[in-house]
Amino acid sequence: MQRRAFLHSLAAVGALGCLPAARALAAGPVANTSVNAVSVDQLPKLEGDLTLYLGRGEGGLYENVLEAIKKRNPKLNLQIRRGVTAALANTIVAEAKAGVRRADVFWAVDSGAIGLVADAGLARALPAELTAQLKPGFQYPQWAPVTGRIRTLPYNTGRLSADQIPDSIMALADSDLTIGWAPAYAAFQSFVTAMRLLQGDKATGDWLRAINKRAKNYAGELGVVMGVERGEVDIGLANHYYTLRLKSGKPDAKVDLAFTKNDAGCLVNAGGILALSDGNLPVNFIRYLLSREVQSYLASEAFEIPLVTGVKPPEGLVPLSSISPPKVDLTQLADLRPTLNLMRSVGVL
Amino acid sequence: MTLRSPLQWPASYPLALVIALMALVPVGVLFGLASDEVQLFDAHNLKVLTNTLLLMVFTVLGAILIGVPLALLTAYVQMPGRRLWLILLAAPLAIPSYIGAFTLYAAFGRGGEIENLSGLPMPAMDGLAGASIVMILYSYPFVMLTTRASLLSLDASLVNAARTLGMSLTASLWRVVLPRVATGVAAGGLLVALYTLSDFGTPAIMRLDTFTRVIFVEYNAFGLSQAAMLSLQLLVIVGLVLFLESRVRGSRERPGRHLTLWPGRWQRLAIALSVVPVLVLAIVLPLAVFGVWLFREGTEGFELSYAWNSAHASFLAAVFAVVLAVPVAHAAIAGRAGRLMERMTYFGFGVPGIVMGTALVYIGLRLPFLYQTLALLVLAYVLRFLPLAVGSVRSTAEGLDPSLVKAARVLGASPREAFQRVTLPLTVRGMVAGAALVFLEAMRELPATLMLGPTGFETLATYLWRVYEAGYFGRAAIPGLLLVLMSALGLALMLSGERRAEFDVTETPHS
Repeated sequence: MQRRAFLHSLAAVGALGCLPAARALAAGPVANTSVNAVSVDQLPKLEGDLTLYLGRGEGGLYENVLEAIKKRNPKLNLQIRRGVTAALANTIVAEAKAGVRRADVFWAVDSGAIGLVADAGLARALPAELTAQLKPGFQYPQWAPVTGRIRTLPYNTGRLSADQIPDSIMALADSDLTIGWAPAYAAFQSFVTAMRLLQGDKATGDWLRAINKRAKNYAGELGVVMGVERGEVDIGLANHYYTLRLKSGKPDAKVDLAFTKNDAGCLVNAGGILALSDGNLPVNFIRYLLSREVQSYLASEAFEIPLVTGVKPPEGLVPLSSISPPKVDLTQLADLRPTLNLMRSVGVL
Repeated sequence: MTLRSPLQWPASYPLALVIALMALVPVGVLFGLASDEVQLFDAHNLKVLTNTLLLMVFTVLGAILIGVPLALLTAYVQMPGRRLWLILLAAPLAIPSYIGAFTLYAAFGRGGEIENLSGLPMPAMDGLAGASIVMILYSYPFVMLTTRASLLSLDASLVNAARTLGMSLTASLWRVVLPRVATGVAAGGLLVALYTLSDFGTPAIMRLDTFTRVIFVEYNAFGLSQAAMLSLQLLVIVGLVLFLESRVRGSRERPGRHLTLWPGRWQRLAIALSVVPVLVLAIVLPLAVFGVWLFREGTEGFELSYAWNSAHASFLAAVFAVVLAVPVAHAAIAGRAGRLMERMTYFGFGVPGIVMGTALVYIGLRLPFLYQTLALLVLAYVLRFLPLAVGSVRSTAEGLDPSLVKAARVLGASPREAFQRVTLPLTVRGMVAGAALVFLEAMRELPATLMLGPTGFETLATYLWRVYEAGYFGRAAIPGLLLVLMSALGLALMLSGERRAEFDVTETPHS
């Protein structure tokens, strides 16, 4: 590894290690031992039938990863069911209740959905040496975070300068900016859950109502960022990587990222994967997602934050040490039902 | 038609009854599911209801405003290439409205394709206005075709009499012709209303909270009972429109000589200029947008299996629908009770795909051997589109000369033999047309396919939805074009096979 890349990744490890949220989570039973990312060359071949529930696969990028895994493992019969992350999590729970099991692994773009399935007692324990590859603070006994993402405020640089943007998410409600959001999107719902946990239901409901008056709805958060860039709205609510992706394809795009401070507006969340059926195949499949190649690909192409030790973070992202995410236990984000009820009662869903 | 003693039920009745009851199962399931839900109606529901009704009203009014003049034009006005005009004007039927919504949404607005290519700033196409425009563009042919059929059944001598008595042409069209085709206009308008109520893709893409879109959000949160409650509310409206539709019947005038109008050169130009914008928006623009995307992104990400899956599932649905339609159609001809059974199966067509999907997901969870199987998906298609097959088979069977069957019976054939050797062969044409219609609709169906399809079973429609959601618009080109192409072929087959007056674009002589 090059010296610079190494320093980069070292910095990222350090930054993620000091995240308060990460530290709170590290209290899990898995020991904080780290192993560097493994190359796919060292992984066992995958053979047999495997059904993957893939929560809204980030367009073609997750698909490319899966294609590459399939190509490497011709004896793997991988069936993929795609859907909204929260929908698939709910589906898995409903299926289990009805005594049906269709999915062997569940790859979700959001840890809230993972928590929902894990809380229902459906996740299988992962081997300790597998979770040990993950950065300290991201090691869980029942699921493996794959990549991290930060809630951000993408803003139109033609209309706003950075200092016009409130640094508190709650203050955004009192501003006169027009806002783009995707309330039906899982990451957004996790963010609202975090806000509920931090500020209470009443304040969250008021905030949603206030924003709703000036908000424009989009189907997904890529749509939000594109809307911001087009100037349809001044500012948006979206995960960090949509903006970085848009800018990488269109360097002169009129959009940049702003971060709030110490509230749900800059929540650090993780997408992850869990095994729903026993056996080596699901676990070995998960190993592929944690391999050095897949992690690097997701960092460089999807601009997601790799969570396996020793992989370079995405380009164009501010150092994690410069942002101040709130103290939230990610697994509590599974408490989605009250969030949906709240969003519905104030008329945003 | 079979001869029978008064005490004996026609042979088709038991089977038709079973099929009719099957058509009601989804509604029963919804009632069961909705009984869990405490929330009957809240403020947000009122907004959803308002949006749904406004979209329906705007679409119907718009479709009549465009459809009726076009019906007059295509029925009476002698233009060069008039058959071509008629086919072009009916062509939006071959484009699923969600494809129109997708491409128009992408073409308009800031940074949309039109602005990208021409530099001209364009207003955004979304919300209630956008959804209404799209729905009007893709549903006006219903009004145009039903109205045109009524117009062609009128006798021109009344207009000539009015003209002779000094009324202007416009006044006589307004006061003599239009009142007599009001039922045709109404029938088309009600079809448009039904189509609007059941459409999912357009409101979803235009980001308008109508019942179908909100039901999908609820389903995605696996709020099955809330989704069921909303579904039932939507069904009440659908039921109302279906009831109105059953009240409206075509005019029963004895057809006479067609009215023929010869426009001058300037009039022809004016007509062409007023028709072209509709065709540009509804057909040229979507195809052009797909063309641009195809040129820009090629066929990346697309697999031929998507087209095969679409065709495979739709073909199965078409076959089963026709097989089930035959007994229902014959029961409907045989007597009053049979007609009631036929009416029951019609309910399925009023059930929007998303509602059918919600109900069948629940059934699947109860019957795991059906869950996420092709069988359940095909069942959903069959339940929804059975009435199309029934209608087609019945109208052909009704057109048969009953004396043929009587002759066979007199010559000693049993009712079964008469059916097999006389009625069946003569209704094959209707069966093929019905199958084509079911195939066409099943292939375009989106929400039920999303909800019920087996894992890994990607169809053209679901792939299109996936690339829309992921924002990879360019990848929609190939599935979109294929869907339009296959729809157009299906439509052509249907139009050539089925000579029902309403949807006939060929010139059948009336006299």
